[in-house]
Amino acid sequence: MTQSLPTVRYERRAMLRAAVLGTDHQTTTASAPSVVAGVVAEVGAHAIVVRAGEREQFLTFSPSTVTWLGARVTPSALRTGDPVIVRRRPHHASTDGWTAGVAEHIWAGIGRVTGTIVGARGREFLVDTGRPGRPSEPVIIAEASLPQIQVRFPMLEPGYLLDVIGTRHRGYLLAVTPATAQPPYALGRPSAQRSGGGITEPVSGTAVWHEPDEGEGDLLGLEYPALDPESGDAPETADQGCVRLPYLSIGSVVRVRNECTGRAAVLPITGDGARGRQFCDRCVACGTSPRGRLADLSMAAFVELGGDLENGCFNATLTVAD
Amino acid sequence: MLALVREVQIPLLALLLTAGCGAKVGRVISARSVDAGTGPTVLFPLRLRRTAVLVMCASELALGTGLLLTAGGLGGGELASAIRGATALLFGTAVGALYELRARRPDVGCGCFGELSETPVTWRTMTRAALLCAAALSTIGVPPLRMPDSPGQAAAFVAITAAELAALAALSPEVGQLMVRLGHAEPCEVRRVPVARTLTVLRASTPWQRCTPFLLSETPMDVWREGCWRFLAFPGVLANQQVDVVFAVFLMGRRVPVRVGVLEADARVTPPVTPPEDSPLQLSNHL
Repeated sequence: MTQSLPTVRYERRAMLRAAVLGTDHQTTTASAPSVVAGVVAEVGAHAIVVRAGEREQFLTFSPSTVTWLGARVTPSALRTGDPVIVRRRPHHASTDGWTAGVAEHIWAGIGRVTGTIVGARGREFLVDTGRPGRPSEPVIIAEASLPQIQVRFPMLEPGYLLDVIGTRHRGYLLAVTPATAQPPYALGRPSAQRSGGGITEPVSGTAVWHEPDEGEGDLLGLEYPALDPESGDAPETADQGCVRLPYLSIGSVVRVRNECTGRAAVLPITGDGARGRQFCDRCVACGTSPRGRLADLSMAAFVELGGDLENGCFNATLTVAD
Repeated sequence: MLALVREVQIPLLALLLTAGCGAKVGRVISARSVDAGTGPTVLFPLRLRRTAVLVMCASELALGTGLLLTAGGLGGGELASAIRGATALLFGTAVGALYELRARRPDVGCGCFGELSETPVTWRTMTRAALLCAAALSTIGVPPLRMPDSPGQAAAFVAITAAELAALAALSPEVGQLMVRLGHAEPCEVRRVPVARTLTVLRASTPWQRCTPFLLSETPMDVWREGCWRFLAFPGVLANQQVDVVFAVFLMGRRVPVRVGVLEADARVTPPVTPPEDSPLQLSNHL
């Protein structure tokens, strides 16, 4: 697969840094051995087959397998052709990892929309996700989920932030669960930063996830909310967000640890986490985390680190990998 | 007068040594790992690093308390001289270690006072270590300390101590870090620094003057930042080969460290260039 010029340039930054500062070239976590992302090819009573490109992955169910399709369902609800992402326990220890496994958690058709509401009509919304060059995304809140979402997001009007998880349909997201609590301000007035003083490493906060772009289903990386605005990686007018994070650049490498499961990975920064700057929320996946979003992980990275996609976040710590 | 100056060094050195060890222990506790890599110990291979940190901290603590205990004449003159000589040896070794650290790992701070010593090693840190080595040498042969005889002498004692602390503070990057910690200054990782300012600093630096003959362009082809370091990559030619010349500029302080590195160019990123026939870049050149 030929890489685009910007990707090559960003990867080269790590090598150039090692050349001038004499440090070893930090290697990122190369693959996600416990994540399988693809489309359901076959569904049986005890197993499914997931196809990802050319390869097919056979995954068996166990009594503890959790299947999510808008809500927790039995695996029999899966249909051929459903897009899925699965966290598995490898059945045999093998070198390439693409052999049978036991499905631990299956998410079918899961999607997420994070951004500013720009249009609202009844239960239908248009949300600007802040991704450059991408149109606003349509979101429809499922009728049964409206009370639950309104509790966390009382201001469902243009100008306010929305962050919901749901199932992907053709052309829109059907929102079923709120990913966080709504910030009490309209866009443009973020809350005050955490107190000054030095930066303590590792930085604590929350890690969230975003849907991958086309063809990037198994990409491991994250969008970082504190890219250096002076070098052009982030907009010039970007404010700091509510977590004090050191300025880094695309291609920089950070170590993210899921404090709930203890799993950690070394991941490259692949983009600007602009939406993360606007939120200053806590995650309650296991205990209460400090405020602020540290990293907007790719779906595969989030699942690899042991996070549950329907929770929307995990308590995380982040260190700049030296 | 000179005798008084020599006497002042003993409690001062003891204070610095115990503070250094205390700060390192504090850093280990907050990082929850002995492998936090304080200063020159990063030069050791990983499996010896923990031992190196423990040995370093233990010797600082032992020498610091030893200096204080033998100051009053306890243990006889030989023990006191031995401890003072060992202190001088410790600081002398530190000078060498800092020199090596500056050459091999320019991004690592000296770690002398734990988290406060993260700024890269410069001539100021090395001078400070050398001065402390000289101070320790001067204490050898000092008779047992007594309380001051007169208020005048006590005042002189205090004045000399204050002057020496001021001189050491002037040589210590930790003071700046302490101001950051107390909230009076912003740490360089979160400070916004315009690229234009970094370019000005770079062009005034010695590594830049040395490397300009080999650069194909004075406009950087890539600029990025990681925390307190900004990196600028330029296309260049060295010994008939296309290279990327990358500069690292530290973003805090004046007379900042600027490092330079060279890497073979990647043809996917930098289009190949043929310099004109009789250009001096065609001849193989020495740095």
